[in-house]
Amino acid sequence: MSWTGRLQCTAAFKNGRTVILDSYGEGALKLMRSVYLDSAHPTLYLVHIGGGYVDGDSYDMEIFLEPSARLMVTTQSAAKIYKTPSTPVRQYTRLSLGEQSVLEYFPDPTIAYEHARFVQETTVYITPSSTFVYGEIITPGWSESGELFRYDWIRTKLKVHREGTLVLFDHLYLHPSHHLTDMLQLGHYTHVGSMVVLSPFITKGVLESFGFLMDQMSDGIYCGFSETAAPGFSVRVLAHDTMAIETLFQRIHQFIRPLYGEREPVFWRKY
Amino acid sequence: MTDQQLLWLLQLSDSNFPSGAFSHSFGFETYMYHEQIRDAKTFGDALVVYIQTQLTYTDGLACRIAYEQLEADRMEGLKRLNDTLFALCLAKETREGTRMMGERLWKLCRDIYGVDELDEIVQTTRSIHPTIVFAAVGRKIEASKRTTVLTYLFTAVQTMVQNAVRGIPLGQTDGQKLLVMAQPYLIHAASIIETLDEEEFGAAAVGLEIAQMQHERLPVRLFMS
Repeated sequence: MSWTGRLQCTAAFKNGRTVILDSYGEGALKLMRSVYLDSAHPTLYLVHIGGGYVDGDSYDMEIFLEPSARLMVTTQSAAKIYKTPSTPVRQYTRLSLGEQSVLEYFPDPTIAYEHARFVQETTVYITPSSTFVYGEIITPGWSESGELFRYDWIRTKLKVHREGTLVLFDHLYLHPSHHLTDMLQLGHYTHVGSMVVLSPFITKGVLESFGFLMDQMSDGIYCGFSETAAPGFSVRVLAHDTMAIETLFQRIHQFIRPLYGEREPVFWRKY
Repeated sequence: MTDQQLLWLLQLSDSNFPSGAFSHSFGFETYMYHEQIRDAKTFGDALVVYIQTQLTYTDGLACRIAYEQLEADRMEGLKRLNDTLFALCLAKETREGTRMMGERLWKLCRDIYGVDELDEIVQTTRSIHPTIVFAAVGRKIEASKRTTVLTYLFTAVQTMVQNAVRGIPLGQTDGQKLLVMAQPYLIHAASIIETLDEEEFGAAAVGLEIAQMQHERLPVRLFMS
C-alpha cells in the first residue's frame, strides 16, 4: 500500500552516547536533524510537511531503540485533522525498545476539526529492563459555529507488549454523538490526556511519592492514576485546555526522569 | 429454550450467586462519594451510559467473541482475548477485582456446570475474566450466543443495581424499577453487540476509568473497587 507519509529510524548506543544509525522519511513525514538537548542522547522532531491531515491520509512510523539507547521524540507542531468526507485519516506507529533502552515520546496534541475522523494505532514492544514514557493529548478544534466537538469521531489505541504478552491496551473512542458529555465520559471537560510510564524503576516507594505529587496537581482538572500490570503506571486526565494537561505531564516527567539517571528537566525548545 | 436451560440461566443470573460481584462498584462508588450519583435518577442515567459503553464495547462484545472462539475451538484466540481484557483494565483495583471474581466464578462453574474448557488458560495465566466463564457456561448448556450475552449483561446490571441499593442507598422497589427501566437498553445492547467489529473492542468510558482509578484513594469505601 502507498502511504501519505512514512518514517523509519533506528537509535543505537555507541561509546557512551546514542546515535541515529539510519533514518528514512518518505512523502509527508520527515525527521529533522536530531538535536542533542542533552549531551549524550538525541531528541528527534517529527515534521509533517503541509498544513495538516486530510481525507484519506495514511501514515506509518517505526522507531527502533537498540539496547541501552536513549531517545526523546516529539513533533514539531500539533497534528491537525481536517474533515474526512470519504476516508478517515489513519496513523500507525510501531516502537520497539531494546534492553535497558529509554524512549520518551511526547507528540504535540491532536486537534480534530469539524467532521474529522481519525484512527491512530500505536504498538509498543518493551522488555522488562526498558523504560517507556508516553504522553498524548486530544483536543477538539474550533468550528465556524463556535461549538466544540464538531469532529465525527476519534479512535486511538495504544498496545504495549512485553515478552510476548499484551500488558496494556488503552482504547479511546471519542464520538460526540454518543454520550460524550456524560459524566462517565468527558463530563463538561473537552480535552483528554493519557500518559503511560512503564519502567523497572517504578517501585512501590516511587508510586507512593508519586501519589503525593498527584494530590497537589488536581486543580481544575479531573484526573486519575493507577499502577499498571507491568511495573509502571498510567495517568488519565480531563481538562478544559491543553496547557493544564501539558503542565501535569511536565511535572510527572520531571518527577520520573531522575529514576533513570536523567537529572535535567526537559525543555523541548519548540517555541 | 428448554426448561433445563432456563433453570440453569436463572441460577447463574441470581443475585445470590456467589461470584463476589457484590463487593465491587467498578468506579460507581467514586461518583456516590462525590454525590454525582445520589438517587435513582442520577444512578439510572449513569447505568444507561454504562450499558452503552463498558458493557457493550468491552464485556458484552468479549462474551460474544469468547462464545465464538469456544464454538470454533480456538483456544489460542480465547487466551489472547482473556489477556486483552486484563490489559484493558487501567485501574489496578478493577483489574484485581475482576481477577478475583473471575476465579471464583470459574471454580463455581467448574463444579456445578462441569465447565473444564478453561482449565488450561487459568493454569497458564492464573486469571480468567468473568465474561469468558459466562460464555463457557452458555456453550456448555447449549444456550444461544445471544441468550448468553444477554444473560451476562443482565447479571452485570443486576449487580450494579443491588450495589446501588446498598451504597446510595435506594429502596428495594426503586432497584426493581431500575431493572425494568434497563430492559430496553439491554436488549438494544445485545443487538448492537451482534453487529460490532472486533476493531471496536475495548473502547473505554474515559470518566468512569478515572473514577475507578480515584477509588483507590477514597477515604471511606464500602466497596473493594
